[in-house]
Amino acid sequence: MSDWRRFWQAWRAEITHIVADRAVLLVIVGGLLFYAVLYPLPYQKSVPGEQAIAVLDSDHSAMARQLIRMADAAPQIRVAARPGSMAEAEALLANDEVHGLLVIPEGFERNVYLGNPTSLSFAGDASYFLIYGNVVEGLLTAATTLSVQTQLMSSLLKGDNPMQIPGHIMPMRVITKPVFNPTSGYLNYIVPAVFVLILHQTLLIAAGSVTIKDRARRFLGQPATSLALAIPLRVASFMLIYLLFAMLYFGFFFRLYGIPHVATPGPLLLFSLLFFMAATLFAIWLGYLLPRPELTTVVVLLSSLPIVFTAGFAWPAESLPRWLDVITLLIPVKPGIQGFLAINQMGAPIISIWREIGVLLGLCALYGSWIGWLAHRQRRLAK
Amino acid sequence: MATNNVTGWQALRRQPWLLALVGWLPPVLTLLLIAIFALGTPQSLPIGVVDLDHTAEARALQRHLDASPALDVRHPYASPSEGAVALQRGEVLALLIIPNDFGRDLRLSLSPEAVAFYNSQYLLAGKFIASAVTQSSMTFAAETGVALRLGQGYALPEAVAAAAPVRPQITALYNAGMSYALFLVTTITPALWQIMIVVATLLTLYWRLENAPLPDGYLARSHALWQLLMPISLLLWLQGLITLGLFHYFLGWTPEGSVGWLIVGMALMVLAIQSMAMLILAVVANKVRALSLCAAYLAPAFAFMGITFPRGDMNMLARLWGNLMPSTHYIELQVAVADHGAPLATLLPPLLTLLLFLIPLPFAIRALPKQLTVDPTEQVST
Repeated sequence: MSDWRRFWQAWRAEITHIVADRAVLLVIVGGLLFYAVLYPLPYQKSVPGEQAIAVLDSDHSAMARQLIRMADAAPQIRVAARPGSMAEAEALLANDEVHGLLVIPEGFERNVYLGNPTSLSFAGDASYFLIYGNVVEGLLTAATTLSVQTQLMSSLLKGDNPMQIPGHIMPMRVITKPVFNPTSGYLNYIVPAVFVLILHQTLLIAAGSVTIKDRARRFLGQPATSLALAIPLRVASFMLIYLLFAMLYFGFFFRLYGIPHVATPGPLLLFSLLFFMAATLFAIWLGYLLPRPELTTVVVLLSSLPIVFTAGFAWPAESLPRWLDVITLLIPVKPGIQGFLAINQMGAPIISIWREIGVLLGLCALYGSWIGWLAHRQRRLAK
Repeated sequence: MATNNVTGWQALRRQPWLLALVGWLPPVLTLLLIAIFALGTPQSLPIGVVDLDHTAEARALQRHLDASPALDVRHPYASPSEGAVALQRGEVLALLIIPNDFGRDLRLSLSPEAVAFYNSQYLLAGKFIASAVTQSSMTFAAETGVALRLGQGYALPEAVAAAAPVRPQITALYNAGMSYALFLVTTITPALWQIMIVVATLLTLYWRLENAPLPDGYLARSHALWQLLMPISLLLWLQGLITLGLFHYFLGWTPEGSVGWLIVGMALMVLAIQSMAMLILAVVANKVRALSLCAAYLAPAFAFMGITFPRGDMNMLARLWGNLMPSTHYIELQVAVADHGAPLATLLPPLLTLLLFLIPLPFAIRALPKQLTVDPTEQVST
């Protein structure tokens, strides 16, 4: 019975260290709510709208006008300016007034009718890749439509076998279809991964600074629970607190933002528990390396952007240098993001992400035993 | 401690963390970003193939796609369901399904279709694959079209012209190679540099306020802060200039316009962020809370810059929040100078906006807490 009482007292002490610390509460409650609103803010529109382009028409033919109408009709672009010269067009691009340029050369219509191969020049502003991609896609759609119409006309005029005309114009095609994020929306792309990152980073700050303050108290010789009990209880406390926030993030906020999510509660719960265990152990390990609580925030702030681009969603992990792809697996958020995306957004069964589960279990063992060693050594030093 | 012992140079000598932030961390993190994007553009992205046709034409299509440097098509699956599982767990980033009778329909000019499903959860990789597959399959179609027409008795030039009457020539302005390294490293680095500026400034102020009280008079206070922050500001500015040098050396980044404007812009950016850091510390007068607020304020800066997702397509609130961050204006300046080589009239608005951030500085200097106390139960002294 008294063992139980000691256990509950120790747990109460751990929970108190978390909820009585205003700085930690500010990060967990304030931070998690604020970031859930702030990070998705830029992407509310999700799919970029029509981008302004300029058309330099040196042909002034009926076909040129038809091409311009087709370009304007493409959903990705709108014709916003008709400069009279190349210099004028370049000035429009430099001032950010338009992000693309279509040049229709002199003699364009005549050459197409005579069957001479004719080139059309497009230029897009590659300072912004998403805009560039849209401009090029819009212009290509317009040019391909025009090209197909011309081919169809000439095939009909020549009296080709109508059955074979589709094959003449387009001998075959590969249709590309997006899956998992059917609208190809930016919100669906960024938010599920960044939410995992926010949970992980705030957990590092909170559990890291709780650990540093606990070490400071022990260093001053204040009475405390034995570490063999305190650390497992701290891990369990953070796992439970973060499970609540995971429900808020993956439940309420995903629904609010209309993010597709397909995992059933069971596997999601299991994977969340494993992820938070690895992340808390990593945080406590950091807490044993850093001397002051504000330094956990510094480490988190400096590491966030490099993590975004090495975690495999913003930039393909296959394109990272091999050594970087491997060492970044030591941070629990990377296998975490990849696992959550696979089960919750891509609908993979939990068995199929054994690799991510294995890495997280390995990280738990690594940081768990490392903390044991650090705690043992520091206690000896303190004596 | 005497006042000559609490200058910025002393802070650097006493605090290894501060020394790291203004010394070796900025170039190391810039080099890390350069290493992340070392490939320039994504290459050999894995694509699964389910070939239900097994004809020479189906194999020719696969070979043609595999020749594209962006794609690695050597991941065969026996059935669509096996391929789908691989796509779900991220083993391949797209799945190409070549239907029955693909080869036969191609020979009969019936224009067969194959489908490539791409993972749009990993949007950048997915879109990159989709565009590589489309381009590569169009050249395959054009070549096949020429071969078919030659078989039907056309002469070669006629066959070529008939296969592609209008040829698009696409130019990527300002980044001819469409290098992601150039696109992302040069824009992520300023966001990371901004974070280092705010953190270094706060840590310097903390150290100063923990070691000696600030004088009361406004002029004496300004003088003490000048002695404290001037060396830090200079070093941070220098670090900004070094990143430009690293861009040039490793990425071949060469500004279109005069780099002088960026040097001025970087100095203004350092001062603007320091002014905001001082304002935040003056308002909350607490170490951990000031740092948390700076984190909330500046950590998402990259998303609000409008480099990856255009600012023109953000809502009012997002644009407003973006405008509150110095990095947004600095990037506007950097794109105008380095990419567009824009005239002075385009450069002035971002430069002047950066100056606006200095307006709260006099208030912040006056309102800074006189002293911060060290709580022994909150840090491990060794």
